[in-house]
Amino acid sequence: MSAVETAPSYVSRVPARTGFPQLLHAEWTKFRTVRAWVTTTLVATLVLIGLSWFAANGSHAGFCSGPPPGSCHGEPPLPVGPDGEAVVDTYFFVHQPLTGDGSITARVTALTGRISTEGNAVRAGTNPFTESRPGLAEWAKAGLLLRPSLRTGSQYAAVLATGSHGVRMQSDYVHDTAGLAGAVSATSPRWLRLTRVGDVITGADSADGVHWTTVTTARLHDLPSTVQVGLFVTSPAQPRGFAADGEPTYATGHFDNVAVSAAGASGSAWVGGDLGGGPSYRTFARGSFQQAAGGFTVSGSGDIAPAVRGAGAGGQPAAAGLVGAFAALIVVAVLGALFMTSEYRRGLLRTTFAATPRRGRVLAAKALVLGAVTFVGGVVGAVIATAVSRRVLLANGNALFPMSGLTEARVAIGLGAVVAVTAVLALAVAAITRRSTDAVVAVIVTTVVPYILSMTLSGSVGTWLLRLTPAAGFAVEESLTRYHQVANSYSAVNGYYPLSPLAGFAVLCAWTLLALVVARRLLRRRDA
Amino acid sequence: MSTAMVEVTELRKRYGATRALDGVTFGVEPGRITGFVGPNGAGKSTTMRVILGLDAVDSGTALVGGHRYETLAEPLRAVGALLDAGALQHNRSGRNHLLWLAHSHGLPAARVDEVIDLVGLGPAARRKAGGYSLGMRQRLGIAAAMLGDPPVLLMDEPFNGMDPEGIVWMRGFLRALAAQGRAVLISSHLMSELQDIADHLIVIGRGKVLADTSVEELVATVSGQWVTLRTSASSDASRVLTGAGGEVNPSGVDVLTVTGLAPQRIVALLGEAGVPLSEIAAHRASLEEAYLALTRDAGEFHAAATEGVAR
Amino acid sequence: MRRALHAEWTKLRTVPAPAGLALAVVVLTVGVGALVAATVHAGGGGQQDPVHLGLMGLDAGQAAAAALGVLVMAGEYANGMVRTTLVAIPRRLVVLASKATLLTGIVAVAATVGVLASLLAARLLLPGGGFTAAHGFALVSLGHSTTLRAAVGSVLYLVLIGWLGLGVAAAVRDTAAATGTVLGVLYLFPMLSAAVSDPHWHRHLDQISPMTGGQLITATTDLPSLSLTPWQGLGVLAAWALGALIVGGAVLKLRDA
Repeated sequence: MSAVETAPSYVSRVPARTGFPQLLHAEWTKFRTVRAWVTTTLVATLVLIGLSWFAANGSHAGFCSGPPPGSCHGEPPLPVGPDGEAVVDTYFFVHQPLTGDGSITARVTALTGRISTEGNAVRAGTNPFTESRPGLAEWAKAGLLLRPSLRTGSQYAAVLATGSHGVRMQSDYVHDTAGLAGAVSATSPRWLRLTRVGDVITGADSADGVHWTTVTTARLHDLPSTVQVGLFVTSPAQPRGFAADGEPTYATGHFDNVAVSAAGASGSAWVGGDLGGGPSYRTFARGSFQQAAGGFTVSGSGDIAPAVRGAGAGGQPAAAGLVGAFAALIVVAVLGALFMTSEYRRGLLRTTFAATPRRGRVLAAKALVLGAVTFVGGVVGAVIATAVSRRVLLANGNALFPMSGLTEARVAIGLGAVVAVTAVLALAVAAITRRSTDAVVAVIVTTVVPYILSMTLSGSVGTWLLRLTPAAGFAVEESLTRYHQVANSYSAVNGYYPLSPLAGFAVLCAWTLLALVVARRLLRRRDA
Repeated sequence: MSTAMVEVTELRKRYGATRALDGVTFGVEPGRITGFVGPNGAGKSTTMRVILGLDAVDSGTALVGGHRYETLAEPLRAVGALLDAGALQHNRSGRNHLLWLAHSHGLPAARVDEVIDLVGLGPAARRKAGGYSLGMRQRLGIAAAMLGDPPVLLMDEPFNGMDPEGIVWMRGFLRALAAQGRAVLISSHLMSELQDIADHLIVIGRGKVLADTSVEELVATVSGQWVTLRTSASSDASRVLTGAGGEVNPSGVDVLTVTGLAPQRIVALLGEAGVPLSEIAAHRASLEEAYLALTRDAGEFHAAATEGVAR
Repeated sequence: MRRALHAEWTKLRTVPAPAGLALAVVVLTVGVGALVAATVHAGGGGQQDPVHLGLMGLDAGQAAAAALGVLVMAGEYANGMVRTTLVAIPRRLVVLASKATLLTGIVAVAATVGVLASLLAARLLLPGGGFTAAHGFALVSLGHSTTLRAAVGSVLYLVLIGWLGLGVAAAVRDTAAATGTVLGVLYLFPMLSAAVSDPHWHRHLDQISPMTGGQLITATTDLPSLSLTPWQGLGVLAAWALGALIVGGAVLKLRDA
């Protein structure tokens, strides 16, 4: 062997530090130094805002009176209940004042109804009764009601018989407690009683008028000494399949053994009338009442319940922006795929892995950087899109569902998070397939396509698609509350998802995590 | 062998029926330039990727400073590598390419500017890398390798695409690195690129190390090398040289042909023994010829054609 | 042209990606179509046209057809092979035309398999969901002229989607960006149409949407209520596809490769 002078081995004089923060910094530098990627992120934000604006701009609502061009005005704002939620407060009420503590009792012996066959387009001038068929809405209501004020949206307590959900005690729109089960008929009538003691209202029911059972109690706040008590009937619009609108219905209830007992003065005359109403809820016809020796026959159409989007009420969720989020999602899917495939394209990955041999960490750092950037872009886009589309929707005469600041923030953050996680999903799939086309197609086919299919498919298929596929993540958009006591098509079209926002997001995250795990495995196993 | 900065032991790797590496073993010593030479497809790049932990082997180990590359805490401070100068993203500037690499090791932007000056990339560093010439890409790749000021440098075909001026610069640059005590491994498929710069050679062909030797010794081991010498004392000379292990044959009046001993050694042996020497001539194969002789059957395509290997 | 065609064919068949995407066209079309046919039930609201339901897999299959169109063109830009191609065949529009011809053949074969299998699945599965004569639904059969029209039209639909991808890719020159653009154009129109509430906006969006318009070709019931006739609808997609090819051809011809 030739003489190798034993040179002192060289030691690097550059002080270096390696760790996950440095790796994140490196990937962030990689991202921000490609102008096209930064631009693409901005584009994602802009399309989110732009398409939301476009959708709002194409959504007008309102009513015109007189022959065209008549005077037109927008939808009136949705009535708001005591807790700030949107409500429907439309019913026929036969009432009299009650001063001080007291009670009202009545027996319901019949509840029948009709369902419009004209859909929501009950035309002025036609007789709704000839354009209808017999049928009782499941949540048609006939019962006793107590409320301090006849003002729409004010507090109330009621005990009532329903079309097919038995006796219920309901109060302040959102509260609902079940009493006796079974339908009302002449052979099985239902006795109902509301009792006021101070601010506490007790609802009771009985099958025979002798044995009474308390359904539940409700507390109405700052109840004045004199309140209105009486009989009411109403019947909500019934959903048709999963179409956006429903069929108006009409119900007639028969009451006898009506008795009002009061500590103070009583015995006033009964006054009847349609309450609430107006164009914001699809009603069948005006209500009416007849008082005869045997009792009262009361008819009405509408609902006294929380408002939901769909069958009966118009109105838009204030957090629009889903269509924009879809567009943003397609853009970030491309971005996510490119962020990964650019490593494969010219062998850059070898440089990356030579600098950081821990490949799983590189993938994690890439995912975090991409996720953070697209999250910020998504949230900013969603916040602006919501503000913009709210303005435009209001200007176009749409009534908006009230939304708390917290919900608004949750929806914006949720949409940003869905956009970000989808970008990461594209990144992971691209790491698996190594081709950006495949990754973009895979991500869009598993997110956008299930949602589109669920819009056009009935029942369970659409629902399961929104439970099992990454499209479940769109549940974060849900800003409306569903109520079991309101029959409605709670479909994605109306803004209701089969999974809760958090669960839906978790499904999307699970898919993404799975893709990341597979990608990590392949990255570690494959030669770079 | 313990002084070797890079130690490669019995590397084996197959791609399907092809043996890419078939028991590759060698070491790279500090303070000198080791040439890694072999025909296309011999396994040079694969070996380098294995050293860098990029490719997995079926068996064998590759250690850098006694550790597997994957376990190094600060890889860029241990090894600088230039694998493929084209491994860049075209729409990122050269400086930004170095910047993200620097950030992965917590190095400041100032270090990036240092290595840009070191390789003479200058103002071009701020242009998009997609517009670089091959030579500029090589400089950028070397800048990347130098970021961590590493004691080991692995360069895969660093002269590719460089203009003559660039090649001269590169040679000086690499020599200076070796002189600082670094271990430098340079691969090439052209012996001519290495013969004036490499201190040591590893010849590889068809996944096997064919020679691991100094340039001198490589030439000397090739058959067909001989020395003719003219001496008036041919029998004395014959005895001395045979005693030293040479093979001596008379080839004329006072002329001997010697094989198996280098000319310098012959002169020294005869001088010590006091044997007069009037003329000596080395008939040596060039390094290129030596290399060709070694790798004649080791070229990937050549071998396939002659042996008719079914793939 | 014949030699160009042969060259393109060799290019396509010697890499695995195009065959994979052609397979994806079949699998996605049949898979989603069969899933829909197996789970939908009559009278449940929503879409009730048996043939249209059976061909709903087009919603997913079209993504693969679009990607195939993109890959045939933009794939060459990814690795710079386009220069080799254009050196070999300098008449660039000939290159585009031969790519389009070949794409047509591949997509048509994949689409025919996918569409026929989807209709077969619909024929076998839909009666299980109540789509029976008793409920007023005829068994899906190519013997019905409207069903045959829907089947042929669906094959054309996928071919046109492939052209759209090809044209956009020639204009955009990047596989990921081109894929995103095509899929955005396809999927965003129906989303937008669902998001706006004005009926005339709704109608106009449907009338210019390549996906909604084009898929009218699969409608066999309630034809008068459609925003366009089935063939007009396919015409909308054809206009998009040809527009994309013209723009792509112009960019290919005028810009440096």
